[in-house]
Amino acid sequence: MRAFVRRLTFACILLPAMLAAALAAAPDVRVKMPNFGSLAEKASDSVNITLDSALLSIAAGFLDSSKPEDAAAKELIAGLKGIYVKSYTFDKDYAYPSADVDMLKKQLSAPLWQRLVGVRSRKEQANVDIYMAIDQGSANGLVIIASEPRQFTIVNIVGSIDLQKLHRLEGKFGIPRLQLEEKK
Amino acid sequence: MTEADACATEDLLSRAVGGESAAFTALVRKHQRLVYSLALRMLSDRHKAEDLAQDVFLQLHRSAASIESAAHLLFWLRRVTINRAIDRLRREPRYEDVSLEEGLLLVSDACDEDPLLQRRLRELVGRLPAAHRAVVLLRYQEDLDPAEIARTLSMSINTVKSHLKRSLAILREQVGNTAAMGPDGTASRLEHAPTKHGSVT
Amino acid sequence: MSNNLDDQLRSALRAVDPGDEFAARVMARIANESMRPRRSMPAGYQWLSAALVAAVVFGALIAHDRQVRREQQGLEARRQLIEALRVTGEKLDLAYRVVNDEAHAATRENPGA
Repeated sequence: MRAFVRRLTFACILLPAMLAAALAAAPDVRVKMPNFGSLAEKASDSVNITLDSALLSIAAGFLDSSKPEDAAAKELIAGLKGIYVKSYTFDKDYAYPSADVDMLKKQLSAPLWQRLVGVRSRKEQANVDIYMAIDQGSANGLVIIASEPRQFTIVNIVGSIDLQKLHRLEGKFGIPRLQLEEKK
Repeated sequence: MTEADACATEDLLSRAVGGESAAFTALVRKHQRLVYSLALRMLSDRHKAEDLAQDVFLQLHRSAASIESAAHLLFWLRRVTINRAIDRLRREPRYEDVSLEEGLLLVSDACDEDPLLQRRLRELVGRLPAAHRAVVLLRYQEDLDPAEIARTLSMSINTVKSHLKRSLAILREQVGNTAAMGPDGTASRLEHAPTKHGSVT
Repeated sequence: MSNNLDDQLRSALRAVDPGDEFAARVMARIANESMRPRRSMPAGYQWLSAALVAAVVFGALIAHDRQVRREQQGLEARRQLIEALRVTGEKLDLAYRVVNDEAHAATRENPGA
């Protein structure tokens, strides 16, 4: 009888607790994007993409595996859980709301997030920050914050990312050549 | 139906199926009494009977290719006429009594019998439940035995016999109650006699 | 006069003829029927049949509409995915160029470094 009570206690209390702990341990690498309402109003062109896992799988269904570029894209998104992009293009130089960018950057703190790249270009007047979420030795999140005089972009990729796979897509779908190999 | 008669019917049938309208007209003429009489006794209305009989021949025109023999044609005509009549009786309010015109017309067909008794019998048959009426008509108008009636109406032989027994009892009782008068003014006395197919038990 | 019920019934239910013109009327109806669309079913069944046809057509339209919507959604998701990959690639390229430019500039400023 006691053994039964112990098993019941384990089943009713410990198992849900362990499950909750496991869920809590799984890092959430989807960042909360600022609204950027003022940017959207002033932008001449804006891109707002929200692709969760359901939409990614629908999109994958419409990629033709017999075409090399589609097959590469399909392979790239296989491990992804979401892609979220906000990009605003302006007709003239524009000062971006630093408070919104700061709020975003506060979410990208160590130890989960590591800043891989943080560059300021005097020539192009561009600032680019690339953050990667590293969990148990593998990259499972990416954030790019790029601000140029006439364009402001935030990309958040959720899931396991292989930049080499993205590299295979360069020159396709209008994706520029990344020259990643030269970096080696 | 003699063998020669059956051959002639089958010849007409195959020519009608081939599209020869004169052959179909001859088939109609040959079987119109059977179909019209069954419809008339089932519905007790000349106009409805004419309409129903025409419908049966229209259906025959469409289904002639499925008829295999002269005997099959007779079976088919009786079955379709009775079934259509029962369907029509279900759909429409029952015509309760034989009209005066109908009575006089039918009396004239039977000049050597007791016209009043026969008119009364037709009225009483017209008041039997539809299934009982169909059994009585196939027995006494078409002269079919209980097995043939059972096949035509998709009933068991026992049901046919039971319907016949019950119908005859009702008719005998009703005719007796009204003391049908013969042309000589005496009451007709009705007795049940064995038929050529044996008595109904 | 026969007194037994069987004989009286046979006589009373003797077959009657619908008249000489009956066959002509049947043939006229056949000719008439062949001129117009055939109505082979009772009215009740025709309504049922019409309702079934309408339901099937309606169902097919809904299924087609769903299929079209699904295709539109899929194509839109594909377009968004490609756009997202393009923007991502573009920004990674920008980062690479900036890193490269800054490295070259540093080399020029401190050639001995």
